[in-house]
Amino acid sequence: MLELRNVSKRFSGIPAVDDVSFSARPGEVTGYLGPNGSGKSTTMKMITGLIERSAGHILFEGKPIEGDLIAYKRHMGYVPEEPYLYTHLSGAEYLTMVAQLRDLPARQSGARVDGMLRLFSLHDDRHASISGYSKGMRQKVLLIAALMHNPQLILLDEPFSGLDVASSLVLRSLIQELAARGKVVLFSSHELDTVERICSRVVILHHGKLVADDSIERLRSLMELPTLEQIFSQLAVEQDTESMARQIADLIHA
Amino acid sequence: MHKFIHKLIDRLPLDFRILYRQFLLRVVDLEALSIQADVVGFLGQFAGVLIMLSLIHSLVTYIGFWVFSAPAEHLAFCWHMEHYLISTTMLVIGLITVVSWDATFPDRRDVMVLSPLPVAPHTILLAKMAASAAVSGLAILALNVASGVILPLLLGVQPGPAWGFIQSLAAYWFTVVAASAFLYCSVLTIQGFTSLVLPRRIFLRLSAFLQLAAFGLFLGVYFAQPLLTDPVSLADPRNHWVLASSPSYWFFALFNQLNGSWPAQFSWLASRAWIALGLAVTGAASSLLLCYIHTMKKTVEEPDLVPGAGGLHCLSSFGNSLQTAVALFSIRSLTRSRQHRVAFAFYLAFVFGLALSLLRGEMAAAAYSPVSMDLLISTFLMMFFAVAGLRNVFSLPISLTANWVLRTTQLRPSEDYVAATRRSLLLLAVVPVWLLSFALSLRFRPIPHVAVHLAVLALLGCILAELCLIGFYKVPFTCSYLPGKANIQLIFWGFIIVMIAFVVPAAQFELSALTVPLKAAFMLSALGALFWALWIFNRHRAKSAVIYFEEIPDQVITTLGLSA
Repeated sequence: MLELRNVSKRFSGIPAVDDVSFSARPGEVTGYLGPNGSGKSTTMKMITGLIERSAGHILFEGKPIEGDLIAYKRHMGYVPEEPYLYTHLSGAEYLTMVAQLRDLPARQSGARVDGMLRLFSLHDDRHASISGYSKGMRQKVLLIAALMHNPQLILLDEPFSGLDVASSLVLRSLIQELAARGKVVLFSSHELDTVERICSRVVILHHGKLVADDSIERLRSLMELPTLEQIFSQLAVEQDTESMARQIADLIHA
Repeated sequence: MHKFIHKLIDRLPLDFRILYRQFLLRVVDLEALSIQADVVGFLGQFAGVLIMLSLIHSLVTYIGFWVFSAPAEHLAFCWHMEHYLISTTMLVIGLITVVSWDATFPDRRDVMVLSPLPVAPHTILLAKMAASAAVSGLAILALNVASGVILPLLLGVQPGPAWGFIQSLAAYWFTVVAASAFLYCSVLTIQGFTSLVLPRRIFLRLSAFLQLAAFGLFLGVYFAQPLLTDPVSLADPRNHWVLASSPSYWFFALFNQLNGSWPAQFSWLASRAWIALGLAVTGAASSLLLCYIHTMKKTVEEPDLVPGAGGLHCLSSFGNSLQTAVALFSIRSLTRSRQHRVAFAFYLAFVFGLALSLLRGEMAAAAYSPVSMDLLISTFLMMFFAVAGLRNVFSLPISLTANWVLRTTQLRPSEDYVAATRRSLLLLAVVPVWLLSFALSLRFRPIPHVAVHLAVLALLGCILAELCLIGFYKVPFTCSYLPGKANIQLIFWGFIIVMIAFVVPAAQFELSALTVPLKAAFMLSALGALFWALWIFNRHRAKSAVIYFEEIPDQVITTLGLSA
C-alpha cells in the first residue's frame, strides 16, 4: 500500500501541495484528480523521489520510502506527465538502456521489450530515432519503460496523453488488469470519463489541498450528483465555464 | 555613440531584431544550461581568452620586431608574424563556423515555428546571417584587438610615407575580415549546394561527416602546413604547390599587396586571394538564396520518422549492465549530438594536429627513428587533451528534461556510477589514444623502449582518468551546465602552464629512464602506485557521494554555522 501522511511541498514559501494525506491500496486503481496547477504532478514527483517534500511522510508497504530508496525504486514504475525522452536514441536503445539501469537480465528484458514493442505496435519503428516519434509513440515508450520490470507500484501521470483510440482502450484494460493482479495503481488524469470507468476511488486536489478522498459511488451519493464530471466541477472548478468561453470569444473579436 | 547605435538598431524591422536576438543566443545551446547560467558572462569569458591571446601576440610581435634587427631576419620575422596572425584568425573563424555548422540554414524547428507566422524567408535569412556575422565579428575583434594595432603600428614606423600606419592598419583589418569571410562563405557554399543536390535525409547524415572533416582540415592545415615566410622559401619551385593550395598564404600575400610591401613576382598569390574571396562570396550568396527558396519546403515535406539500423546491439557489452548502459549512452551521445560531436572533435583534431606537427619528420623518414622527445611529448599531450577534453564534453548535457529516468532508476550505490563513468572515460579517450600512439610508435625503435613508453602512457591515461573523476559524481551528459562555475580563463591558462611545466620535464625524465632498466622499473612502479592510490581515493569518496544532475552556483555568502 502507498500512504501519504500530511505531505506538503512549498516552492519559495508558496505551497504547491498542502498537508495532503491519502492512501492507494493494492488491487485498486486510485484516481488522482485536480485542475491545472493543483499539485497533482508535484505529488507524483514527491512519490517518485524526484523532488523533496517540505513536510510529511510517504510510506510504501508501511515503511518510509527514504528508508531504502533503492529498494523502493525497484518496485516503482512511473509514467511522467510530459513524454521527455533521450531523443537521440531509438526506441529500442532507450528501452534497453532503462532495462540495463534497472539491472534486468539481458535475455529476460530483451524478450519483454520486444514483446511489448510488438503489442504496442512500435516494433517496426523500434530502430528509428525517438526525435521522429509522435507524441503517442513516445507515450507508448514511456509505458513500456514503466512496466517492463513488473513493478508493484505504478504511478501514471496523464498516461493517455497523445494515444490513439485503440491504444487508449488497450491501456484502459491494462490498468484494470494490473490492479486486478494486486498492483498499487495511482492514476492522474484530466479525462474524467476514463477515470470514472477504471478507478474505484478518487482523490481530488484543489489549490494543493485535498477536497475529496472516497469511492466514486460514495461521492455520487454524498453529493447527489450523477457523474464524476459534475462532482469535480462542484469541488474544483471555480469559474463559470460558459461565461468564460464567451469572454474569450469577445476578446478575440474586439 | 551609444545613442546613435541604438537609434540605428531601432530603425531595423522589429521581426528582424527579435529573430536576430534569438539566433544569436543559439550560439550557446540554452537547453543545455543550468537555469542559473549567465550566458553573457560565458561568452565574455571566451572573448577574454581571445583578448589575452591577442595581448600575448602583440607582446611577441613588439619584442621580436626590435630583437631581429638584421634586415633579412627582420623581414622574415615580420612576414612570419603577419602570416601567423592571419592564419590564427582564419583558424578561430573556421572553428566558429564548424561549431555553428547549420546555424545559417533553417532547421526543422525554425520552419515549424516560423512558417505559420507572417515572417518573410528573407528576414529569417538576414537575421541568421547577422547573428553569425556578429559572433564571428566579435571573435575577429577580440583576437586582433591588440595585435591588430601593434603590428600595423610597427610596420608603419618603418621608412616610408607618413600615412604608412593608416595603410597598414586598413590593410591588416581588411585582410583578416576578408580571410574570415572567405572561410565562412566557403563552408556555406559547400553546405548549401550539398543540401540542394542531396535528399535532406542523406544530407543530414553527410553533414555530420562534413563537419568533422572541416574540423580536422582546419586544424590539420594550421598545424601541419610548412612555414614559408621568407623570400627564399617563397621563390623555391618545390614550395609552389603548398603556396598555391594554402589560403593562409594567399591572404598573407593580399595583406602585403595592400600594404604596398609585396614583391611583384609573388603577386599571383594575392590574385588567388581575390579570386577565392569572389568565388566564395558568390557561391555562398547563391546557395543561401536557393536554400531559402527550396530547402524550407523540403524540410517540411521530409517524413517525421526515418527508419534506422540496428545500431550497436552486437557490441553491447562494456562490463556490467550499468557500465554498458553508461558507455553506450556516451558513445551514442557523442556520435549523434552535433554539439557534443563538435566539442569532442575539437579536442581530437587538436590531438591529431599535435601528432602531425611534432612527428612529421619521423613519419616521413625511410628508416626507423629512435624513441625521441617528440614522440614522448606528442603522445603525452594527446593523452592529456583526449582525457581532459572528454571530461569536459561529459559535462555538456543532452536532453536534460529526460534525466528523470536516470533518477527514478538509480538502483545502485553511487560508486557503481563513478565506476561506469570511469569505464566510459577509459573506453572513449584512453584506449583510442593509446592505440593511436601504438600505431605511431611502430616507426620507432628499439622495441623495449617503445614498450616501456606505451606502458607509461597507459598508466598516465589511467591516472588522468582518475584525476578527472575527482568530484565528478555525475553520469556523462546528464548534468546541467553552469558557465562561470568553471572559470574558462583560469582553466585555459592553468592547463597551458601545467602542460609546459610538467610535460617537458616528464618526457626528459622518461627518455633518460628508457636507457636505464632500474630507472624505468622505478618509473613504472611509481606511476602504478600513483594510479592505485588515486583509484582507492576515488572509490572511497564515491561511496559517500551523491550523484547529481543539476549544477548549483557556489554560495556567495558563507554562513558561519553558529546557529543551532
